[in-house]
Amino acid sequence: MFLAMTALVDEPRHGYGIAQEVDRLSEGHVQLKIGTLYGVLDRLSAAGLVELDREEARHGRLRRYYRLTDDGAKALREEAARMAATAEAATARLRARTAGGAA
Amino acid sequence: MSLLEQRYRSVLRLLPASYRAKREEEMVDAFMELSGEVPDETNPRPRWGEIASVLSLSLRVRLGGAGASPRFVAWGEAVRLVALLGLGHLAVGSFNQLLHWGHALTFGTDVAWAGPPGSVERLVSIAVSTADLCSIFAFVAIMRGHVRTAKVTAVIGAAATLVYTLIPMILAGPLTDRPLSETAATLVFTAAPVIALLMGFHSDITPRRRSWATTLSPAAAGLAVLGGTWLVVALRPYHLDWLYLWLGFGTTILVWAAGAVVVLARRSSPSWALAMTTTGLLLLTVRLPLLGNLPEGASWTMVCAQCAVLWALSTALAWMGARGLPGGSGTVPLTRKVGERSG
Repeated sequence: MFLAMTALVDEPRHGYGIAQEVDRLSEGHVQLKIGTLYGVLDRLSAAGLVELDREEARHGRLRRYYRLTDDGAKALREEAARMAATAEAATARLRARTAGGAA
Repeated sequence: MSLLEQRYRSVLRLLPASYRAKREEEMVDAFMELSGEVPDETNPRPRWGEIASVLSLSLRVRLGGAGASPRFVAWGEAVRLVALLGLGHLAVGSFNQLLHWGHALTFGTDVAWAGPPGSVERLVSIAVSTADLCSIFAFVAIMRGHVRTAKVTAVIGAAATLVYTLIPMILAGPLTDRPLSETAATLVFTAAPVIALLMGFHSDITPRRRSWATTLSPAAAGLAVLGGTWLVVALRPYHLDWLYLWLGFGTTILVWAAGAVVVLARRSSPSWALAMTTTGLLLLTVRLPLLGNLPEGASWTMVCAQCAVLWALSTALAWMGARGLPGGSGTVPLTRKVGERSG
């Protein structure tokens, strides 16, 4: 969910666009299957964190673009801050460990 | 339309029609973009991972996940209630077992283990009985909202019992040669609640945290059942064979029937009605085969009466549940409309 929301920060994207962006953000570690992606979009939509931006027809098929809502941006900011704090705590402990080993 | 698209559309038929009507085209678009140009000559098929993800999505939507229609939300709630009722029943049984062990330890009486003392059979019997106690932890965990703990402990408890009961039965010869009730009872009481737990409490569901009083109710029920059983045994009504048919499993039927009457009288939600229907039919599948093993007489008539009660109440509940279900066309919007902003 975090990566899917991050993928929508800069611009609205369609399903394939989100899957591609998640793959890029995670450096290939997370490759969303289509069923999984739409399950995530259902959850985010139900929670009001993403919403439909526009619809386009391409090759005779419907393409929907999704955007992050204000609530979604706030939730992502909070989650990012929480993760950054955790990462900072880990870095500080590793620094202390290295310093202790050197002493 | 390419062969791969045709095949992916076939896979999407796993999803409910109402969901497909909203999502199919964009899912096909995303899948085809992801797959790139694939000529029909290579006989392409969607990968197993893609099929599994659609199957998983289908289960979540059908069981009240995000974006599900009110009808599927009601079905999902029914499945979760089946899990709670089933695990509650298993917890009562395990609590009774604990009380028996406590009694045996206190008064130095024997516990009916399988196999002679010191044998592997005895050891396995003790291990499986201990694993059975996991259903208590599973029930407490799910009632207090700890889904993962509930799933792990429920699977441990069920797997031990299923392996211990089914493997010797399979090794002993074709299952058709064995009394049906033996197989049915094991599957119904052990596997069904665990399957309902695994399927019903999926990632889209935030479980309710129920009070400790409700959580500990199986312990009170276990004490009441054990007390009643000891009372009947102490009275030794040997001339009333049929009375024994109301002990153990018979007590479950009695409690279920009382619950069914309450659900019918209060015109409870369709989810409750459907959950009680399911549990009633499960009880019936276990009780019905007993008719073939009993000689005609008072006991046979009593089992007939129990089956009739289960059938009649289950039918009434099914009718009430089906009538109360929200229409299939009423769906929750998957997304907000274009231009409509939140907040």
